[in-house]
Amino acid sequence: MYKNLTAEQIKQLQQQGCCAQDWKLVRIADGFDAARVGNVCFSGQVNIGSQKGTVKSAGGIEKASGIYNAMIINCAIGDDVRIANIGIHIANYDIESNVCIENVATMQTNPGASFGNGVEVSVLNEAGGREVTLFDELSVQFAYLMCLHRYRPEFINKLKAMANKYVEKIRSDRGKVATGAKIFSAGEIIDVNIGAGAIVNGAASLANGTILSCAESPTVVGTGVVAKDFIIAEGASVTGAANLDKVFVGQGTKVGRQFSAENSLFFANCEAFHGEACSIFAGPYTVTHHKSTLLIAGLFSFYNAGSGTNQSNHMYKLGPTHEGKLERGTKTGSFSYMMWPCSAGPFSVILGKHTRNFDTRDFPFTHIEADSDGKCNIVPGMHLTTVGTVRDGAKWPKRDRRKVGKKRDIISFDVFSPYTVGKMIKASSILKALADSTDRAIELVNINGAQMKRVLLRTSQKFYRTGIEMYLLEKVLARGKTAVEGGIEKLRKSFAADKDAVYSEEWVDIGGQLMPGQRIRDLMTAVEKGKISDIDTLYNELLKIQQLGAKDEWAWVKKAYETLSGVNLEKITKEEFLAAAEAYLAVKTKFLKLVLGDCEKEFDSQSRTGFGYNGTVQDIDEDFRQVRGEFNRNEFVLTMRKNVEEVETRIGKLKAKITACL
Amino acid sequence: MARQLKVDMGKIKSECEFARDLGAESIQSVELVAAFEEEFDIDMDEDAALSVKSVGGAVKFISDVMKQQGKLS
Repeated sequence: MYKNLTAEQIKQLQQQGCCAQDWKLVRIADGFDAARVGNVCFSGQVNIGSQKGTVKSAGGIEKASGIYNAMIINCAIGDDVRIANIGIHIANYDIESNVCIENVATMQTNPGASFGNGVEVSVLNEAGGREVTLFDELSVQFAYLMCLHRYRPEFINKLKAMANKYVEKIRSDRGKVATGAKIFSAGEIIDVNIGAGAIVNGAASLANGTILSCAESPTVVGTGVVAKDFIIAEGASVTGAANLDKVFVGQGTKVGRQFSAENSLFFANCEAFHGEACSIFAGPYTVTHHKSTLLIAGLFSFYNAGSGTNQSNHMYKLGPTHEGKLERGTKTGSFSYMMWPCSAGPFSVILGKHTRNFDTRDFPFTHIEADSDGKCNIVPGMHLTTVGTVRDGAKWPKRDRRKVGKKRDIISFDVFSPYTVGKMIKASSILKALADSTDRAIELVNINGAQMKRVLLRTSQKFYRTGIEMYLLEKVLARGKTAVEGGIEKLRKSFAADKDAVYSEEWVDIGGQLMPGQRIRDLMTAVEKGKISDIDTLYNELLKIQQLGAKDEWAWVKKAYETLSGVNLEKITKEEFLAAAEAYLAVKTKFLKLVLGDCEKEFDSQSRTGFGYNGTVQDIDEDFRQVRGEFNRNEFVLTMRKNVEEVETRIGKLKAKITACL
Repeated sequence: MARQLKVDMGKIKSECEFARDLGAESIQSVELVAAFEEEFDIDMDEDAALSVKSVGGAVKFISDVMKQQGKLS
């Protein structure tokens, strides 16, 4: 409850250099301490909480709460807030308890502010047509659907309605600085909501935005940052004079070191330093670390951009209308260039300067390299067994920086899934058809704008066969292993698909969430029919799909395995299950050995180039050993070898169990 | 081999290592294995084939595989 100042308090405040447009509009809570207010000018309705304690200031220094050297206009100030040295004013803000605002030029909320909510971001297609509406609860799935599924206009209209409804809910004449937020040495902050525990330290200019934050996952906006029309999510950091214009920064994402971005969305756990982004859809774990890297008009996820990566979306005809789609796990090498439109399948590695358009989306794990004429040469499946792919797959889940209770972006981390393995099956079939129909005199075959050496058609099928068999057998054995002890009938029953599972031959990657195509089609229909009409319900439905993922995956594995092997799992024999265990051991061991073989290249004579400087020839190996270590002691190598042993032991035990129980 | 690696036939010696002496990169090694398979109508195990480092080693490896697969008596 707030009350009016007493005459004595007003007198004391005036003696301490304070003034008010109307002292009656300055109301105080119990615990207000007039001694803690100095040189302050009040205007409009101002409520002030108790001021008994201290609050953490810059550098963690405890300072007394209070208001000093400031003009406060129409603000509600909570308990134990410290406001000091405000250059112009703080106007139209609700400032919650334990907030510290020091040395800030100005903070103001204008009538009808929406705090970045409602901003339309021209993502992926710079010329427009795929705009995504920003709002606090934006998830990668919502954005992906809004951006990519324009072929269902009614669905898009419904999504827009959901977003707009949220925007109107947020719209206000008053901004908010939530509990425990710290704002130091900042320039102008206009129409910006600041979440609990957020740290804004040295930002140059923030306008029309929201900094979502919470105590367990504080968000940081640092020195020299200029941001306009933005939303920065919980646990993110935007620092180092980054420059954002119409940008969403997702949970746990880091943007800094002078990175500039416009019309771009960065979802969970991205890292963007030094370079530039324009109209990009950066799905989870998109990483660009280097100067002179321009990402433009592209769709990415689990992506790593090498230094100097560059793309063109403008062929100087009808404007910047072209789009690029690099599916999950793709990497682009240093100074790689792509002329959109292009599409690359998951876990591809792209090298060189590509001046031709290509579409290799059906070919996962592909080596994509431009020749000197800019033509795209591919080796499908080559990166299935490379060290980089294996390491990436292991590192992403460990690097999830999101500490918030609600992780808005739903992420499927698996490298091998019905999505990638389904593509491998499809690719194998395309490659086989080409191999069967191409004369041996032909050196190169064309695949959707890319070219491939005919002699590799069989090799690529072999790469894919390894991946397909390894994945399917692993899943079949995992499903059956616990049922073995119950006898053959129990084993057969264990292979039945779950009743609530959905089967689709083709799986989709909805901004990092993998699911059967039918799931997303059903969801879109439900939205179109109005059965799902708000953001929370949509999120919960997507979460439900994720929770059913293992069941859907099994339905897919069962069908794929039965089709490819000719074995009916629900009528499987002891001999067939034993053969599956043996086949898995063989293929998994082969896979791990290929990965080890790739790893060994990092220790060969070429890798020693430049070692042993100013020493003798004998010093090369010692220098290398000191710096890089030894192959046989390398942590990754040891892990891979341990995996080989573990697989041998595991399958040995399973085989014994099959022999004994079935 | 000379065609795949784009090197002078005269420079290919038994003791030559593919990477160090003939400049074979990963992708060329894969192409070489594929070319050997096609040329000799054999099916090679990738991890074993790609672990062969030298020309002499490749000759021995291929002849062993050919024997195993009944292509060479």
